[in-house]
Amino acid sequence: MQLSIEKVGKCYRGRVWALRQFSLELRPGILGLLGPNGAGKTTLMSILATITRATEGSVLWNGVDLARDPNALRRVLGYLPQDFGVYPNLNAQEFLDYLAAVKGLDARVAQRRIDQLLDLVNLQDVRKRPLGGFSGGMKQRVGIAQALLNDPELLIVDEPTAGLDPEERVRFRNLLAELSGERIVILSTHIVSDVEATATDIALIAGGHLVAHAAPEELLRRVEGKVWEWVVPSADLHGVKEAYRVSSTARRSDGVHVRVLTDEPPVGAQPMAPTLEDAYLDALSLHRAAMVPA
Amino acid sequence: MKSARVLWHLVKADFLTRVRRTSFLLTLAFTLYVGYETLVGHIVLRLGEYRGVYNSAWVGALMGVVTSAFLSLVGFYIVKGSILRDEQTRVGQILAATPMSKSFYMTAKWLGNFAVLASMVGVMAVAAVCMQMLHGEDRTLHWGALMSPLAFLALPAMAFVAALAVLWETMPVLRGGVGNVVYFFVWSGLLSLGIGAVMGHSGAIRTRAYFQDFTGMPTLMEQMRAALVRVDPGFQNEFSLTIASGVPVKRFLWNGMVWNGVQVAARLTWVAYGLLVALLAAVFFHRFDPARSWRGLRRRAEAAPERGEVIELKAARHLAEQSREGWRGMLTPLPRGEEKTRFFALVASELRLMVHGQKWWWYLVAAGLFVGCAAAPLNTGRTGVLVAAWLWPLLLWAPMGNREARWATESLVYASPHALVRQLPAAWLAGVMVALATGGGLAIRLAAAGDVHALVGWAVGGCFIPSLALAAGVWSGGSKFFEALYTVWWYVGALHHLPGLDYTGVVASSARPGVFAGLTLLLLGAAWMGRRAKLAYA
Repeated sequence: MQLSIEKVGKCYRGRVWALRQFSLELRPGILGLLGPNGAGKTTLMSILATITRATEGSVLWNGVDLARDPNALRRVLGYLPQDFGVYPNLNAQEFLDYLAAVKGLDARVAQRRIDQLLDLVNLQDVRKRPLGGFSGGMKQRVGIAQALLNDPELLIVDEPTAGLDPEERVRFRNLLAELSGERIVILSTHIVSDVEATATDIALIAGGHLVAHAAPEELLRRVEGKVWEWVVPSADLHGVKEAYRVSSTARRSDGVHVRVLTDEPPVGAQPMAPTLEDAYLDALSLHRAAMVPA
Repeated sequence: MKSARVLWHLVKADFLTRVRRTSFLLTLAFTLYVGYETLVGHIVLRLGEYRGVYNSAWVGALMGVVTSAFLSLVGFYIVKGSILRDEQTRVGQILAATPMSKSFYMTAKWLGNFAVLASMVGVMAVAAVCMQMLHGEDRTLHWGALMSPLAFLALPAMAFVAALAVLWETMPVLRGGVGNVVYFFVWSGLLSLGIGAVMGHSGAIRTRAYFQDFTGMPTLMEQMRAALVRVDPGFQNEFSLTIASGVPVKRFLWNGMVWNGVQVAARLTWVAYGLLVALLAAVFFHRFDPARSWRGLRRRAEAAPERGEVIELKAARHLAEQSREGWRGMLTPLPRGEEKTRFFALVASELRLMVHGQKWWWYLVAAGLFVGCAAAPLNTGRTGVLVAAWLWPLLLWAPMGNREARWATESLVYASPHALVRQLPAAWLAGVMVALATGGGLAIRLAAAGDVHALVGWAVGGCFIPSLALAAGVWSGGSKFFEALYTVWWYVGALHHLPGLDYTGVVASSARPGVFAGLTLLLLGAAWMGRRAKLAYA
């Protein structure tokens, strides 16, 4: 099971490149795709889900080019888009029935699967209620269920935790972790904690370019010895922000606790254990610095 | 002053939102097409066997009447939808949180609609100048005579239509497909009310008639008639605005409208009616309250929040238990094997999706029409019951080809295997099944009578309707276009059995099964190409 993304680029009208020379090799596990808004994550997801076609480069599923046979991937694809709709007059059962038919699932197999999925996402009690009356979180759970209908080998989830409350978010992360054993899961998000909890690999994307691709441990190693924290008076905060790359601030009774990313330790600062958020911010700022013309 | 500024910005934003869409270019193209058809003489204003000399007065009157009559139908469908758009884009919720009153918002929507229609009238005004110059019967431009019919006939009519579009959008019964069908009959009723006021009166028409006609035709006809009677005292008071029929041979000189106070007041009254209708719409307007909005499936949405919270809490507990126990055991892995197409399962799903949500009485009427087709005398079945049977499922066919776009399920459906070659034909076949089911009673009768020709015509008709729906849905991206087009086509072609337009195919004098079979194939090809263009991969 292998997904190869080879020098993929996507150009929209007006010569706007959303993605450029993007290459990645994926095997079973969870890839956390992290990047700021407008980085090109959703464009990449759409290309991988065969919704849109790359302007350049190619995507290969088990060696088969999507341009030649997109159905080779579609048969084993589960896709949860960032924005999707439902037919408001149908109930959850009927909607999943319909999508199972569209995906070509055998009726009996589909019935059993839908039953299990409704249990899994806990919509069994409301399976007969029209989707038009569902809350955002419930609708998102229908989306999760439809993505798992065909027991996908490649599961692409774009901002899956949007609309879910914190508790649901944690549960969904656990679900992804359990599902990832024999399949490739691509989790696109800008919420670092979602990725931190589940990803076996992380790809950082910015400005349509792949900034970094590594295991979380490797990314954390790259910022070891670069994270510092100290307490400053509120009045000095502005100056600190000017001088350093600030990762976070927290106001406490003794002043403002400032966490910064820097090679040289500030006076009085304590070294801190890096988090993935530190690694993410560091990689992005290095990328931005590299992109600024000399 | 502040209100005027707010109104100006609301109307401006509304206008710009529409004119910057590709569909507006299509709208202008249609307007230009109507102008061209008039220019080349395919749309003719006739008084018996006469037409006027193409001077400024006649050209202006012709363009005014054409715009007033045709644009009042098409324009309604073009401008209807601005409130729905505010609802869909959530801009409406932002506006609802401001101190703006409902009547103010409705007035702004009315003026926004009017601005779009007025821009189309502007296109017709340019076409009028071109028409007079190109015909060359009298190239002297008299601006007052040329433009006053557009200003006094077309613009007030557009103001009224703009308001009707607003009213339709605020009334739950009328804002969907039913409203689109109903408008056609309202429009034809209003048109005949006005024309009826002048036809059959050989003398001066009553003042009341001016106020009964929103197109302004009585005003025009009265003065044209007076001019023609001076030339031909035997003139029999025959007026017609015809498309592609025989061109009259005689010409007469008409020097234009002489507007008196009553006539101008009558025309301005339609603007006032428009404002009143827009203000009436404010009474029905839900102010983007989701509990009252149509999209929320009102009753269910009202019950949802409380129940939804309980479900969310239950979900959290359930999920917590699941995460302790693990998820894997809950899902049985699916066997991987050779792919089967299961096409007919998909057809059945598409059919269920199509008919889902219909009330019991819908099925009762459909069953009644089936039985009616089978039980009525064969001639009545051909000319009446089948015609009704093929209007009844109009709103079932209308979402074909655009359901995915309307409900934003494209990314779910189009990422499925063979989305083009399976889902589109399945949707079409489901539409055909609806047509064949509702009109099936007549097929039994025709088969029993051994009328093979009519049976073939019937089958072609049953395939033609969903093909038209599919192509219209795929290319327009919505259901409104088909609802309007099919209603007009049904009225002109099927109900009146007009040769060349009668798609029912069962009346020997008007049936053209060969033509409609070809058209069906063309429409299917168009639908295929349209859907193909939307998919990254076939």
